[in-house]
Amino acid sequence: MSKTISIHSFRGGTGKSNLTASIACIVAARGKRVAVIDTDVQSPGIHILFGLGEGKVHRTLNDYLWGRCPVEETATDVTPGPVREAGGSVRLIPSSLSPGEIARVLREGYDVGRLIDGIHALNQRLELDYLFIDTHPGLNEETLLSITISDALAVVLRPDSQDYQGSAVTVELARKLDVPRLLLVVNKIPAAFEPAVIAEKVAKAYGAPVAGTLPECAEMMQLASSDIFALRYPDHPMTAAIRDIASQLVD
Amino acid sequence: MRDDLGMLVRDMKAVGSPFRQYLNRLYERHRGNTEGAVATYIPELARANPQWFGVAAMTVDGQQFGVGDSQQPFTIQSVSKPFVFGQALSEHGRAKVAQRVGVEPLGEAFNSYIKLDANSKRPHNPMVNAGAIATAGLITGADPTLRLRKLLTMFEAFAGHPLNVDVGVFVSEKTTGHRNRAIAHLMLNFGMIEPDIDQTLDLYFQQCSVLVTAQDLAAMAATLANHGVNPVTGVRAIPEDYIRDVLSVMYTCGMYDYAGEWAYTVGLPAKSGVSGGVIAVVPGKLGIAVFSPLLDVKGNSVRGIKVCEDMSADLGLHTFAPTSKLDELLGK
Repeated sequence: MSKTISIHSFRGGTGKSNLTASIACIVAARGKRVAVIDTDVQSPGIHILFGLGEGKVHRTLNDYLWGRCPVEETATDVTPGPVREAGGSVRLIPSSLSPGEIARVLREGYDVGRLIDGIHALNQRLELDYLFIDTHPGLNEETLLSITISDALAVVLRPDSQDYQGSAVTVELARKLDVPRLLLVVNKIPAAFEPAVIAEKVAKAYGAPVAGTLPECAEMMQLASSDIFALRYPDHPMTAAIRDIASQLVD
Repeated sequence: MRDDLGMLVRDMKAVGSPFRQYLNRLYERHRGNTEGAVATYIPELARANPQWFGVAAMTVDGQQFGVGDSQQPFTIQSVSKPFVFGQALSEHGRAKVAQRVGVEPLGEAFNSYIKLDANSKRPHNPMVNAGAIATAGLITGADPTLRLRKLLTMFEAFAGHPLNVDVGVFVSEKTTGHRNRAIAHLMLNFGMIEPDIDQTLDLYFQQCSVLVTAQDLAAMAATLANHGVNPVTGVRAIPEDYIRDVLSVMYTCGMYDYAGEWAYTVGLPAKSGVSGGVIAVVPGKLGIAVFSPLLDVKGNSVRGIKVCEDMSADLGLHTFAPTSKLDELLGK
């Protein structure tokens, strides 16, 4: 039975996509069949991390949403070398970066029910162990639906008042939607802050466990989304922390 | 105060629910079935697209489900009958209504000869045309406009939003409704309806020409399932006391001369109409509606019957079945 896991943040720039890519690869490297779906159709991006630049994307989630192809045809094998050696696989379902496709989504919207049907179909037809959903920041219909059908949800936030307040809304909705497992991840913590204090504060404020606290990280900045952090820096303390978060999400 | 958050959460849960997945599979299972024929007894109905097929459902807590052509408008036809029967009961009470119309199944085909009870001269039940015309005759109001307004207000309370009469279908019914006119004359002969039969017939043709979608019918069925209160608007459409009257006659008389077989196999109060609509009620739980204009020889929607049969069997919805899987699918 496959598990669906949503990674969400209320605002952009929290490092959600980078974290999602690393977690997906860490889990896959345990010999699992994993897929990542970019439901951020308004502002897609995670495909870059997997090296699917312009010209390399064949089919996108948009093709499925408009009925041009079955959903499994939109999945591209992006399994990195180390993951393959470990007996795992990663597939990516990217959203289109074509201005015309994004414009169509913005003008017409799409049937979110079809998105949910697609997620169920991916789980079954690709025989996945885990499907990670990289959601659109903020709250919109597809984000709420992703949360609704997820077995676990990670809310990524920075130690910032706007993030704190926005994430409170996400957490309240996720509770009402009965998501079975809800975890918080505090990312991009400045060096001047004490992570343990922040973790305690956040856990208390939201009444939910903090799966990890991650510092602002120079190597991550330098990487500039050109690669997957956990694979590039397997021995970095940050990778160890992400590994720990991954375990809490999938176990 | 409007609970927008609660409504949003309910809508999201509906889309994410396994019941929706089930309805999708059910829809696909019967989509390719092209048995049956579109009704042709009035020209307007013959224009229906035989491919139209929609399935809709609403739970008593207001979760809505729709697959296929569940938003396609069509005229309600005989599916209006139980609701107008309920309105007559609301206005006059059980005793008075019982003087004009019985509750005995007739096994009458939708186009059968005219039959009234030999002794009482009453129509057998409010689900056959004679009974429905007698029931329409019980709707009070100072003039025809007010009587129609009263029915439309009642339909609105059930559906959760205003509904309108399709004028083309109404005129078509009125100009070709000779059989119904004959029924009215026969009942007038026995003193069973008021003398102004033209106005009563107009009201009857209008009630049959109300435009609905499968989604609307599911809401109306869910209102019956929810003891008379629309699950989304919270508006009461019929006194709780008369729900048992309406559901009883639907259970025994709702499917023309297929009613006995229906009660046995599907086991749910239901009503079908010649435009291809079928509603079924799971009391206390769910309203179901199917729309597919291809009819069998008994005048029931072929795919409407198949979908209800499958749902009843798959989910254990039969009134006398020991268990139902519905709560599980709805995540309760």
